Amino acid sequence: MSISRRDFLKRSVLTGGALSVLSTTQLKGFTKHPIGWKGNQRVSEIASICEMCFWRCGILGNVDKYGKILKIDGNPEHPLTHGRLCARGNAGHKLTYDPDRLKYPLMRVGKRGEGKFKRVSWDEALDFFAEKLLKIKKEYGPEAVGYFPHGIQARFFHQVMTAFGTPNSVEPAFAQCRGPRDVGYKLTFGNNIGSPEPLDFEHTDLMVFIGSHIGENVFTGQVLQYAEALERGAKLIVVDPRFSDAAAKADYWLPIKPGTDTSLLLAWMHVLIFEGHYDKEYIDNNAIGFDQLKEHVKDFTPKWAAKITELPESLIIKTARLMGKCSPKVALHPGRHVTWYGDDSQRSRAMALVTALLGSYGRKGGIYLSSKIPAPKFPSSHHKPKVKRADGAGTKYPFASKGLGVTNGLIDATLNEDPYPIKGWVVYSQNVLESIPETYKTKEAIDKLDLMVVVDVMPVEQILYADLVLPEATFLERYDDLYTVKNAKIPFAAIRQPIIDPLFETKPGWWIAKEMAKRLDLKDLFPWDTMEEYFDHRLSGLNTTLKQMQAKGIAMHSKGTPYYDFSKPVKFKTESGKIELYSKKLLREGFSPMPEYTPIDEVPTGYFRLIYGRSPVHTFARSQNNEILNSYQSENDLWLNNKVAEDLGLLDGEYVKLENQDGVISNKIKVNATPGIRADAVYMVHGFGHNSKRMRKAHGKGVSDTQLMTRVKVDPISGGTGMRVNFVRIVKNGNPIMLSGAFSFLPNFEGEGEEELKYVEDPKRVKAKRKIKKVKKKEVKVEKKELKRKVIELKEVETEEEEDEGC
Amino acid sequence: MRYAMVIDLRKCVGCDACTVACRTEWEVPIGHSRTVVSHSGAIGEFPNVYSTNFVAQCNHCDEPTCVPPCPTGATFQEKNGIVQVDTDLCIGCGYCVEACPYDARYINPETNKVDKCDFCAERLDVGLQPACATTCIANAKYFGDLEDRNSIVYKKVFEEGAWRNENENAAIGPNVYYLGTKNQLEIVKAKFGPRKARLATPAQMWKDILRPFIFGAIGVTFVGQAIAFFNQLRNGEEPIDD
Repeated sequence: MSISRRDFLKRSVLTGGALSVLSTTQLKGFTKHPIGWKGNQRVSEIASICEMCFWRCGILGNVDKYGKILKIDGNPEHPLTHGRLCARGNAGHKLTYDPDRLKYPLMRVGKRGEGKFKRVSWDEALDFFAEKLLKIKKEYGPEAVGYFPHGIQARFFHQVMTAFGTPNSVEPAFAQCRGPRDVGYKLTFGNNIGSPEPLDFEHTDLMVFIGSHIGENVFTGQVLQYAEALERGAKLIVVDPRFSDAAAKADYWLPIKPGTDTSLLLAWMHVLIFEGHYDKEYIDNNAIGFDQLKEHVKDFTPKWAAKITELPESLIIKTARLMGKCSPKVALHPGRHVTWYGDDSQRSRAMALVTALLGSYGRKGGIYLSSKIPAPKFPSSHHKPKVKRADGAGTKYPFASKGLGVTNGLIDATLNEDPYPIKGWVVYSQNVLESIPETYKTKEAIDKLDLMVVVDVMPVEQILYADLVLPEATFLERYDDLYTVKNAKIPFAAIRQPIIDPLFETKPGWWIAKEMAKRLDLKDLFPWDTMEEYFDHRLSGLNTTLKQMQAKGIAMHSKGTPYYDFSKPVKFKTESGKIELYSKKLLREGFSPMPEYTPIDEVPTGYFRLIYGRSPVHTFARSQNNEILNSYQSENDLWLNNKVAEDLGLLDGEYVKLENQDGVISNKIKVNATPGIRADAVYMVHGFGHNSKRMRKAHGKGVSDTQLMTRVKVDPISGGTGMRVNFVRIVKNGNPIMLSGAFSFLPNFEGEGEEELKYVEDPKRVKAKRKIKKVKKKEVKVEKKELKRKVIELKEVETEEEEDEGC
Repeated sequence: MRYAMVIDLRKCVGCDACTVACRTEWEVPIGHSRTVVSHSGAIGEFPNVYSTNFVAQCNHCDEPTCVPPCPTGATFQEKNGIVQVDTDLCIGCGYCVEACPYDARYINPETNKVDKCDFCAERLDVGLQPACATTCIANAKYFGDLEDRNSIVYKKVFEEGAWRNENENAAIGPNVYYLGTKNQLEIVKAKFGPRKARLATPAQMWKDILRPFIFGAIGVTFVGQAIAFFNQLRNGEEPIDD
């Protein structure tokens, strides 16, 4: 082949032209940098807060001379994370530069779910939105619009929807996550736990996790304090059917039978009370219902719980004693995602009661208190809608939060048009098809809608069902509302500010909300023009301005009040003003005033209970398409007990499929045959198995646990969806495989067995006995001498033990 | 001055924050790494199991096996102990990659030069800590000067007895030390110990065949020349014809 000079010139001009076109688009964000240290290329460093997950750690965005983000660092000024940042935060800029991200407003042209869209301008999109929404308002009333928000950034949308007139705002943060926990603790102590969990790991002597797998479930600030506590010598008890990273670090791992945690907690209470380990003074002064509780747990012996939990009795007793010994410096983690079995509010109550018995609430080393932070909101002339909520919060689910709502309640309402029709959904920063179980129901409900609007960053599956997709700028390209952290020993406020300008046609959430308000005749809703004006108002309580705060990104409040001052009588925010071990409030609504163990549905033969959790390199279903994070974990694997795997003839690393109890068959998933899980359960990391082909890296990789959750058990107290009630069997080459009849699983707990409880006499009973003893004085004298000797002996033994175990 | 790092495996949660920070700090291409986090998985029989996470990177050894095989002198050790690669000199032959018993080096496909952890030397120059230690969310990575009695690494190594990952394959004085429970260190020994240093096939050929052959040939030539010389001496010089 020969190339003439003319041809060559022509081609080089063409390539040159093409290259220059490419490079101008590249300048917008997809440029390639010389290899080498980023520090040499950095021209500015901008403080902000992360949104790779919901913990919002402090970050510094490093920007180069082309205006491209080079790297994200931790912000050393952040009072909880001290400049440290997890894998996701470190890979945060890859969200901004994800080639698959939503770039332009899209309007659906194909069928729902088909994924056919046309690109429209923002004006067209917003006009369409307003027109449709006002039409729904006219036909069905404003309450026919449901709103699915998430996060601090949602506050502007929240204002729009509230002013529009709908009370139906629902977040999975409640009914699929921490709802039951907040209800349980509020009923007991009068306060929510809130976020981040105010655990005083800094001073604790013992950490107790029930299902919490810190380390795999990462909040940088919490992991940091947890690791430092371990180094300091704090003890750790982990209750988890799976040998998590925390379990590996624990002094005691309790591989409990899934779903039986409440019985363990009741038995712990039994030991704490009847062996006299509880904090008597704290309970006497601050709690009501102790006698009822004592009576209630009388029969819930460790022996009883051992049978239910399939744990050795001695392990239950030992761990309870350790808690008693470390009281009050025990940090029992209240958990976060706690919607497991439908009895979750009561289990959370049981955890709160153990915390109370140990005297750990509001005390050093236990759970500290949240402090107030003044951050005034802009006054609004709009009132809260007076229409009844459709999701059942406050009615069907009497203790559900009206602020966060019950997602599944609203989906049911949409589906059944009960109590009234819901015709529009506005979904913001939330993933209704990955975070809410029973996805088939959600899809059916979407079919009933006249309008579904999704404001999102990534083209996750839900956008395929939307009529209108509005592309939001990523967290590195926008301002969001002020983030105030009350659950810190010294409360503080942090700002999110743009590190670069939004790429493509994406827009920040606040701008979208403001434009929506304009078109919905709610112009006066945002009485500010710039974000500077907005922030300066919000920051006025902290005596600072946006300008002053921009360099560090953080404004500390003057002082916090993390602990109760017990020198004065303490008033709890409960009905009685005391810690309510016995809850009249629950009784009034027809629930048990004290937690009870409700037996769970047993695993059907041939099936395994599906449990799920977190990975340190991914957040829910948000991050699987991130170039870097995907390279660390592109798919989830299936934890299966190694003996089970052996019996089933499965090899470690082999691919299988799963079929749930309702016949739903999953994608393929890799077997992780491990002795680190019980034989009756399988485990996977949540968030994989994306169905959207627009997410090219994540599509079809791994299994979505949510899609296998075709059943839930709703907690009648909070409305939370118990999600660990689904069972799967393993399908290989198209056929389900079963365990052989010969398979048995009898774990041998080394060094554990039965243990005698050392019951402490009830003071009242002791008095009665004394009267009798007076009659038999002579015998008593002999007995006393012997007793003294025994006590001395016992004390010696006990002190030896103490040295062994420490605290 | 002797830079060293101590990694406390009892604190490490295996979250990969360090490896991602390293990747973005140095633009390490996906598929390669300067530092790697491994998880042993549960070992033993349910419920009596144990496990560990493990963090590997260049150990900046006292007697680095990667330095001698480098044909151009691109890999060298600084006085502070950091083993460096001069990318201007590196020809990407990969001899050092094979020679490292910890598999800490890789050839960057974009530059065709060898790359590895250098304790973030450029960060150190401006007074920063290595990126991995700075970001570690469990504060499990300690960095400092082992010759400074007040440094944290001195304390961890000489007072708390941090351990060097050496075995019969390689005992070359790694300067990344580990703290861990007995079980954890047992797993590290069994699963993450160093391999035998290898020489790359061309290097092996050079060392085992070519070099002896060439030296032999030179020797033979020299001997032949000598014999010819002595013969000439004995026989006398032949007359030269003009």
